[in-house]
Amino acid sequence: MSKNEKMNVMQARDIQRLSAGQRIVRGGVKAGTYLFLFVMALIVLFPFYWMIISSLKTLAEYRQAIPTFWPKQIMFSNYSEAFTTANLGDLFMNTLYVGIVSTLLSLVITVLSAFAFARLEFKGKETMFGALLATMMIPGELFTITNYLTINHLGWMHTFTALIVPFLVSVFYIYLLRQNFMQIPNELYLAAKVDGTSDLKYLWKVMIPLALPTLISITILKMMGAWNSYIWPKLVANDSAHQLITNGLRNAFTDTSGQANYPVQMAAVAIVSAPLFLVFLFLRKYIMSGVSRSGIKG
Amino acid sequence: MKKRILAIMMLAVMLVSMVAMTGCSSTKNTDAGFVVPEAGFDPNKEVSITFTHTMGAKLQDVLDTYIAEFNKIYPNIHIEHTSAGGWGDINGQINTEIAGGNAPNIAYCYPDHVAMYNIAKSVVTLDNLIASTAPVQGTEEVIGLTAEQKADFIESYYNEGLAYGDGKMYTMPLNKSTEVLYYDATFFTANNLTVPTTWDELWDTCEKILAIDPDCYPLGYDAEDNWFITLCEQMKSGYTSANNGGEYLFDNDTNKAFVKELRSYYEKGYFTTQELYGSYTSNLFVETTDTRCYMCIGSSGGASYQMSNNDTEDGSYAFEVGVAPIPQYDASNKKTISQGPSLCIMKNANTTDDQIMASWLFVKFLCTNVEFQAEFSMASGYMPVLKSVTENEAYAAWLAKGNGYEHLVAKCVQIGIDGRDDYFVSPAFNGSSTARTQVGSLLLKCLKAEVPAGSTLDAVIDEAFKDAIDECEY
Amino acid sequence: MVDNKQQWKAWLYLSPAIVLLLVFTVWPIFNTLRMAFLNGYGSLGEMGGATFEFGIDNFLNVIEYKNFLQCLKNTVILCVATVPISTILALLIAVALNSIKPLQKTLQTIFFLPYVTNSIAIGMVFAAMFNIVGLKGNGVAETWGIVNNVIQFFGGEPINWINAGSPYWANMTVMIIYIVWNALPFKILVLLGGLQSINKQYYDAAKVDGTPRRRVFTKITVPLLSPMIAYVVITGFIGGFKEYSSIVGIFGDKMGPANDAGRLNTMVGFVYDAMAKDRQGRASAAALILFAIILVVTLINNQVSKKRVHY
Repeated sequence: MSKNEKMNVMQARDIQRLSAGQRIVRGGVKAGTYLFLFVMALIVLFPFYWMIISSLKTLAEYRQAIPTFWPKQIMFSNYSEAFTTANLGDLFMNTLYVGIVSTLLSLVITVLSAFAFARLEFKGKETMFGALLATMMIPGELFTITNYLTINHLGWMHTFTALIVPFLVSVFYIYLLRQNFMQIPNELYLAAKVDGTSDLKYLWKVMIPLALPTLISITILKMMGAWNSYIWPKLVANDSAHQLITNGLRNAFTDTSGQANYPVQMAAVAIVSAPLFLVFLFLRKYIMSGVSRSGIKG
Repeated sequence: MKKRILAIMMLAVMLVSMVAMTGCSSTKNTDAGFVVPEAGFDPNKEVSITFTHTMGAKLQDVLDTYIAEFNKIYPNIHIEHTSAGGWGDINGQINTEIAGGNAPNIAYCYPDHVAMYNIAKSVVTLDNLIASTAPVQGTEEVIGLTAEQKADFIESYYNEGLAYGDGKMYTMPLNKSTEVLYYDATFFTANNLTVPTTWDELWDTCEKILAIDPDCYPLGYDAEDNWFITLCEQMKSGYTSANNGGEYLFDNDTNKAFVKELRSYYEKGYFTTQELYGSYTSNLFVETTDTRCYMCIGSSGGASYQMSNNDTEDGSYAFEVGVAPIPQYDASNKKTISQGPSLCIMKNANTTDDQIMASWLFVKFLCTNVEFQAEFSMASGYMPVLKSVTENEAYAAWLAKGNGYEHLVAKCVQIGIDGRDDYFVSPAFNGSSTARTQVGSLLLKCLKAEVPAGSTLDAVIDEAFKDAIDECEY
Repeated sequence: MVDNKQQWKAWLYLSPAIVLLLVFTVWPIFNTLRMAFLNGYGSLGEMGGATFEFGIDNFLNVIEYKNFLQCLKNTVILCVATVPISTILALLIAVALNSIKPLQKTLQTIFFLPYVTNSIAIGMVFAAMFNIVGLKGNGVAETWGIVNNVIQFFGGEPINWINAGSPYWANMTVMIIYIVWNALPFKILVLLGGLQSINKQYYDAAKVDGTPRRRVFTKITVPLLSPMIAYVVITGFIGGFKEYSSIVGIFGDKMGPANDAGRLNTMVGFVYDAMAKDRQGRASAAALILFAIILVVTLINNQVSKKRVHY
């Protein structure tokens, strides 16, 4: 073995040792990452778990001083009771209708506004945006009576319009999407201008695909809004033809003293959330897939 | 950007001041009670009314049945009813609806809700309707209540409608609950204990129970606020009054003395409450394995939670549950709190006389119909407001069941009827619910407070009372 | 230079939003201002025929309230403590979720579950975790709750977190944990979405250069994600100042432990209380004071983020 060869072997061994060390570090980081995620996952899972086991308890067990971690007697009958008591089918269709229509319209308005704020130059842009942010800072509950009167004057009582229109604009989402649009390099827009591409086409072909994860997040949040909204729908459209799911559920399972039968209520919540969850699972693919970045240079 | 926002705000303030100046137009004041037309009610004219309540699905089924019954008599009255969710929700909802002129014709209510609606003068006083002898056209019936109908009401429930400080009748009672003393009758018999009827007897009993089972809480009291209010009423020491839009009277020496006394019993371990215990005291009462309580003061509406377990092999109950009236301070001034929903009739600028009369006829129907009162009580566990309900066959059969939950409810109802002269309701005004929250918290604060060095217990209690009054009066 | 065509287009794009905002947000704000400057205004009272004079009594009334500073203090503490904690945690989770291969889908799914979990269930979990049942004078309890069990397992003394007689700092700790817990899912969702918009080429370049992970995180991920981080922080502060329902979720309408109602009340809690007593004038005045505070904080936030955010 020549001296040179010896050196080569030693070098190779060094390299091997180095990569072994690196591998340990990487493995450690990976294990740490997983451990962290598992712990956090457990924390966010706990309430969900609690909801499911609560929906399977008897009312007496639910009221016990020392909560049980597993129902002593599994009450699947809570689910059948929830299903038969509330008019779930109608409630579900109403909510789906309001959810889909308001999400679609709201997305259009949000995209156009966010585009204007992120890409266009116009007088008063900063002031306008500042004013928009300022509207978020007043507790919205103060608006309830005034908006109720407005809906009343417009003759929208007991219509789906009253449930959809007042909440179409969300500064919260316009701001979110604007931030996302601003992440997209401006060069693309300028290049498109040079090519003579119209704004709307550019928005549709470039911005929207790139911001798809955020748009889907907004879709999810908006849909959840329809699912969870309670006070407003109760005021403006609590008739059976327009009632939304949360109202239907909260109103169905109370006794005279207005106390809720929580186990059955939980069962009902679980039933109506299931389809929503499936939709999320489907949409997750789009949030997480990332976007193909061909032709985009940062 | 900052300057511009400021400029916008300044502009806004100025604009608003202008709006404010012009926005003060007032609606006309309609204080006089409803005047019943002499011709009475025309049962051939179509009229629609709305009814907002907090009934769950089970009770709504009962309601629907009896709306159908009602429509057999009055096919022209169309009733649309909706649930507004729980008790916490209905008040805010109707407040908003009042602002839009959309309040329902009939509402389920607690006294402090009615006090709020009354600020907007949206509640129809019932005195003229009750007294009316105008006819329901084409029938023998009159619009008002007959003497027999009036006499059938448990008087103190009926009088709840008068708790608004101006002597006018605002509500009709629908169904009620009261506080009762549940006790472990098996344990009491085995140990030769007598059921206490006064607070002094109660504390003696507590001492004896503690000697038998040193690890128990002799008494569990569910609601701290009710305890405080009831004691004020029993001692005539003053809690609140509905006069002059609401007065807070509970900061006085008698009340401080009983709070101090309760503290000494708390320190001896004689009692616990829901908040002190950290869970429903009914759990302490029905659980036979761990720490127990042998007496429990709670709502008669919660009787189902006070039922001892029968999950033994032969299905027998772990112990027999006895029910008694709550202890009193003074036998000549017996006072027990009564709670539960009433009905009020509401109006706005567009409400017609026919709607008001139709609403009244329906309210009258619900409150005076024995079958409805019986069925509603069986479905809800609350007590009927009519004395004659116990004579109803189905109800009597239900009450006569030898054991179990119905039996317990039966005993509660009986106590309710026996004690019909003793009920009181706390005065109702805008702010009465704050007073309730404050005295509950005040009692606990005085029980738990640690006396700092250089101070005295009396000083601590004085300050706690003063803070509570300040909070109420703000 | 701003060209005219862009001006015209911008306002066209914004018009649907502006019209709706004028009707359903700006108009109610004007009404709020009106109510704030009418002494002792209440809408039920107005319906009942009462008239109110123009003045600033409502503002004086709010400021003179004995517990006003307490409300403000609670609000600020909750806000200042929860926003950084939840943002950092969410950022770490989002980045970690993005960096793994096996089990990625399962874990992502789990982080979606809070969206279909009923808020009542979350309140119940906290009761189960922190509630002490049957604590007696001799220091024996029926159950100390899960959190205290853990503390005892490690040899610590159990703490009265939320029950009657509990100390203020313990109440606040529970509130902070609860609010962070509640805020996490949304922030993770937003930051994950933001991460997807970062050009993968940056990471590829870093890999070729052998840049260590920590540097990749601080020099690539955080700066490129900064618009989203700024968003999460600013909206977090705005939401934090409006904190209210989370306290009701744990302590109920009495806004404090049972022996000290109102101890944990916040500014918006104050607004609610006033509204429930038909004192909309007072409620509006408090809301405007809160608005002024949030505005100042947001302006500061904006100034800071302008220097730090890379678009």
